[in-house]
Amino acid sequence: MRKMIDNDNKQTAVIECKQLTKVYKGLLTGRSKAVCALKNISLSVSKGQIIGLIGPNGAGKSTFLNLMAGLIFPTEGCLTVCGSPARSVEARCGLGYMPEHPSFLGRYSARAVLRYHGALLGLSRKTISLQADKSIEQLQMEEFIDRPCSDFSQGMKQRLALAIALMNDPQVLLLDEPSNGLDPVGIIRLRDVLKKLRDSGTAIVISSHRLGELEKLTSDYIFLYRGEVVSLGDRIVTGQAGRLRVELVSNGNDIAEKLLSPSKILGVSDTELEIAVNDPEEVPDIVSNLAKGGARITGVLLQRENIEDIFLRLYNERN
Amino acid sequence: MRAYELIKETFCRKIYILIIHLSWLSLYGGFWWLFLPMGNEFGQFIFIWGGFFLALALSAGIFGDDISSGRICVLVTKPFWPGELYIYRLLGLSLQAAVHFILAWCVIFILHTFIRQGSMNGLVLWLFASWLLFNTCAALSTSLSVVVGRAYNALLLLIVIITGFVVVGTMMAYLKQHSETEALLVSYFRFVCPPFEMLYKFAGGEYGKYSLTVGRFSLAKSVACVVHSLILTVVYSIVGIVLLSRRQFSSRRD
Repeated sequence: MRKMIDNDNKQTAVIECKQLTKVYKGLLTGRSKAVCALKNISLSVSKGQIIGLIGPNGAGKSTFLNLMAGLIFPTEGCLTVCGSPARSVEARCGLGYMPEHPSFLGRYSARAVLRYHGALLGLSRKTISLQADKSIEQLQMEEFIDRPCSDFSQGMKQRLALAIALMNDPQVLLLDEPSNGLDPVGIIRLRDVLKKLRDSGTAIVISSHRLGELEKLTSDYIFLYRGEVVSLGDRIVTGQAGRLRVELVSNGNDIAEKLLSPSKILGVSDTELEIAVNDPEEVPDIVSNLAKGGARITGVLLQRENIEDIFLRLYNERN
Repeated sequence: MRAYELIKETFCRKIYILIIHLSWLSLYGGFWWLFLPMGNEFGQFIFIWGGFFLALALSAGIFGDDISSGRICVLVTKPFWPGELYIYRLLGLSLQAAVHFILAWCVIFILHTFIRQGSMNGLVLWLFASWLLFNTCAALSTSLSVVVGRAYNALLLLIVIITGFVVVGTMMAYLKQHSETEALLVSYFRFVCPPFEMLYKFAGGEYGKYSLTVGRFSLAKSVACVVHSLILTVVYSIVGIVLLSRRQFSSRRD
């Protein structure tokens, strides 16, 4: 685990929130009572980072994304985007937002939609045209750029929504389930585009349930559970923890009892041990201790914990 | 560019908007052709259809559709004051109505030239009054659209105004013996609600009976009517802009 608010990163933090709380009041919302969607969240996101926002349904991911996009107001706490309060015009200058279910005027073609959003951003005709051409090439939009949006598949809508979010070369990019409906080629293209943006210094926050896809983009995650960041102040980093499988000739149960602490043992049989590892550097010591203790080892395999494992572990710990 | 795109959007957002314009123009032509009305009769017809029903039809779902589809979430993350979104859209409606009423005059002029019956006297003033009423109703409907989903703003306004007329008419009949209360209520409805009566009398020249006149019209009262209806349009718009600026949006669709 790594400290979330990193002092070194503070200089380049583009999203900062302190004690952020959001309560949906019952009045006019159809809810019988107030619901606390986010509780006292404090964190920062720096330039050039890709953050995966993960958590079960109802954890507060969309609320957090909506707060950063300035679509809703925080109940308490403060949130700055690009150095200005979220929802201010200054903050929105550096923001790109892609909703989960993009929607467009059905009569407009993709090109007309790009022109429309470029105009809203205050871009000149020439810049709009250049950005549109760039998006068409990057996101493979040639085949549907002049077709009306009412004919679009979900994947086409996603690509157009991403193109809109990228029109102003944002410093902060907020993406809600960006790979929804994309074909495998589209997903690979999306990944390439996001990696290029990260390399150019854009901070990207992605809310997604597709953990496998997220893992190919980032190793930094914020796990939200019932409105709280799990292990407040810490960020999950994959590729560190894992399970070590040690194959033995025999006496697995006796060796585990004698040489390992119970909290480290994930599984044990006569011929196999499964040991929790927090850092790959622990492996040589563990193996050496087992050998010294009389274990006759025939094989060793370190299985690093992926984000799916971490997600399930954190989720199960809280249920 | 921004203003142009937002104004253009009010016309291009749905195919039915063009159909509405064409249907309304056909309706004016048909009414003229069938009934050969004299000046005020046709003016009254265009005042209600063009000034009120057209405003409701064109502004139906102007923000509500965006809110229901989640499109508003992308629009309000753009770096400009949300009031601009409201102002340019209302301006778009107003410009459409202006062109609509010019075309309506052209249609009637052509029919009048061919048929050589009926009267076009006072039609320009009725069209102007209709445009003023259109602006006020469109502002009210647009502001309502910020808080009411889909196209229910137009339906709600239609029901409220019709119910209002029935209730106020009944109350006035009952209050005939209480002249002070009646006067108070009349002035309240005249100054706060959409200016149906005021603009109707303005276009019909009824205010000319009471003060200095230009022809059959009262200049002072006519100017007051125009200014008052414009103030109402601005007030209704400010309410809508404040609501739009303070509203929270969800990316969830209906």
